[in-house]
Amino acid sequence: MDPHKIEDNDSLEALMLGGVKAGFPSPAEDVREKLDLVKLLVRHSASTFFFRIDGVSMVDADMDEGDIIIVDRAVEPYDGCKAVCFIDGEYTVKRVKITRSGALLLPCNEQNSTYKPIPVGPDDDFLIWGVVTWVIKKA
Amino acid sequence: MFALADCNNFFASCERVFRPDLNGRPVIVLSNNDGCAVARSNEAKALGIKMGAPYFKIRDIIEKNDVAVFSSNFALYGDMSGRVQEVLRTFAPSVEQYSIDEAFMDFRGMRIDDYDALAKEISRRCRQLTAIPVSVGIAPTKTLAKIASKLCKQYPKLQGGCYMHRPQDIEKVLRRFPVSDVWGIGRRSAAKLAGMGIDTAWEYANLPEADVRKLFALPGWRTWSELRGIPSIEFEDMIEPRQSICVSRSFTKEINDAPLLCEQVANFAEGVVRKLREQQSLALEMAVFAFTNRFKENAPQAFSSRLSVFADATSEHRIIVSAAVKAARELFRAGYGYKKAGVVITKLVQQSDYVKSLFSDELSDNKEEKLSESIDTINRSFGRGTILFGVQGDGRIKMSREHQSPHYTTLWKDIPKASVK
Repeated sequence: MDPHKIEDNDSLEALMLGGVKAGFPSPAEDVREKLDLVKLLVRHSASTFFFRIDGVSMVDADMDEGDIIIVDRAVEPYDGCKAVCFIDGEYTVKRVKITRSGALLLPCNEQNSTYKPIPVGPDDDFLIWGVVTWVIKKA
Repeated sequence: MFALADCNNFFASCERVFRPDLNGRPVIVLSNNDGCAVARSNEAKALGIKMGAPYFKIRDIIEKNDVAVFSSNFALYGDMSGRVQEVLRTFAPSVEQYSIDEAFMDFRGMRIDDYDALAKEISRRCRQLTAIPVSVGIAPTKTLAKIASKLCKQYPKLQGGCYMHRPQDIEKVLRRFPVSDVWGIGRRSAAKLAGMGIDTAWEYANLPEADVRKLFALPGWRTWSELRGIPSIEFEDMIEPRQSICVSRSFTKEINDAPLLCEQVANFAEGVVRKLREQQSLALEMAVFAFTNRFKENAPQAFSSRLSVFADATSEHRIIVSAAVKAARELFRAGYGYKKAGVVITKLVQQSDYVKSLFSDELSDNKEEKLSESIDTINRSFGRGTILFGVQGDGRIKMSREHQSPHYTTLWKDIPKASVK
């Protein structure tokens, strides 16, 4: 079995909870807890969502096709953060620059000049959908 | 103080979480099998689409107004509901989930200076963290909190939060609030009140106590005193086992032969058994029902049901499924096209409270119980429907869910996609 492979039909919950405990309690149980990857990656379960990267139109953006990104809506957009934004009917990861009047959405790769900065006004509620907190990629 | 947090047009709002482009556009969600509208965005309500409107009757409005139509996606709604509950729990130690889209919160024993700011903050946090719009009403009783939350929906300038506590404010609101919309006033009480000339919540709250007691018994009295600002309805943050269990469905194509109806009913019975066993209850009485399409005016109409009483309370697959199939066979009549059928456990007890009758056959019961346990174990490990009774068939009738959105939050293959630009 390929440990990297996430079966498409596996439910998220099953993967997050792991197996069912059974049998005798181990004497080591009280001594040490296992490292819990979910606890590390999901700080706020109510506001954390997963997206998959699909379509990368620049190099050196730290994100590749097929990567899973973790998006936490509890995190306020901060200067320099990456965020999932809803632009022209689709989700696009942008770099956020906080300005005095609001924010600017810049291309993920600083060197890229193909994409013009998009200003975010006070009424653009849904332009920034959530801040990216982790990128999960296959080694 | 108590709060009621009510998600606005919940199913429609869930559909918008991952589709911000639908903000401002009318959205409706259809019931199981795409039968009728069960949720409507404000824009859809403004078009005159009524709750429960059959889909085929509103197709014209939908097309003309570019209404976004969704089949029910309960995996998504359940997940979003859990997220909202989680946010609410950060504001109060006791949260009572009242339904998939409503929860009561209990602030007794907490020191809060500004309830109005709190109500607005709860709404703002829910919106920020989950993208679901929530109306939060805070008031001295649960019944008043529910009314306060309705005000938020009427007045957007309340910003999703309304604190209603001063007697003069409560009076002003109740004078205009229809008594039939008050939580706990059922259709029958409302009709009785209308006959008495009582239309508003204020008039009801000002009836003499003795009259309320006499005419509307204890539940009516509780509502009456809650409207007067005295908490009288218990706060239930413990999940109570359900008092009845129902599995029913409308069919995409009408059923007009007995074996097919029995097969469907067997599946519903199996669903009922699963729910019974999950909450460790036993069934005492079960009703099986089937009815024809009441919107087809010239077709013969039937609404039939059969009640089965179990000699001993049971949650055993074979007993319940075979009783349901027997009932379905009895109620089926040739020449009728059945549109909907279902199985309801009308009386149940908790396993832990139940004492077996003196005459029950311990030995054979054990065998049934072991069979049921094995079925549970296998279906739990290998997925629902791995082991079926022969009568359940192979699910020849599929639900119609033509417009279902992806399972954005519960299936890896369905998580939303983002490009990098």
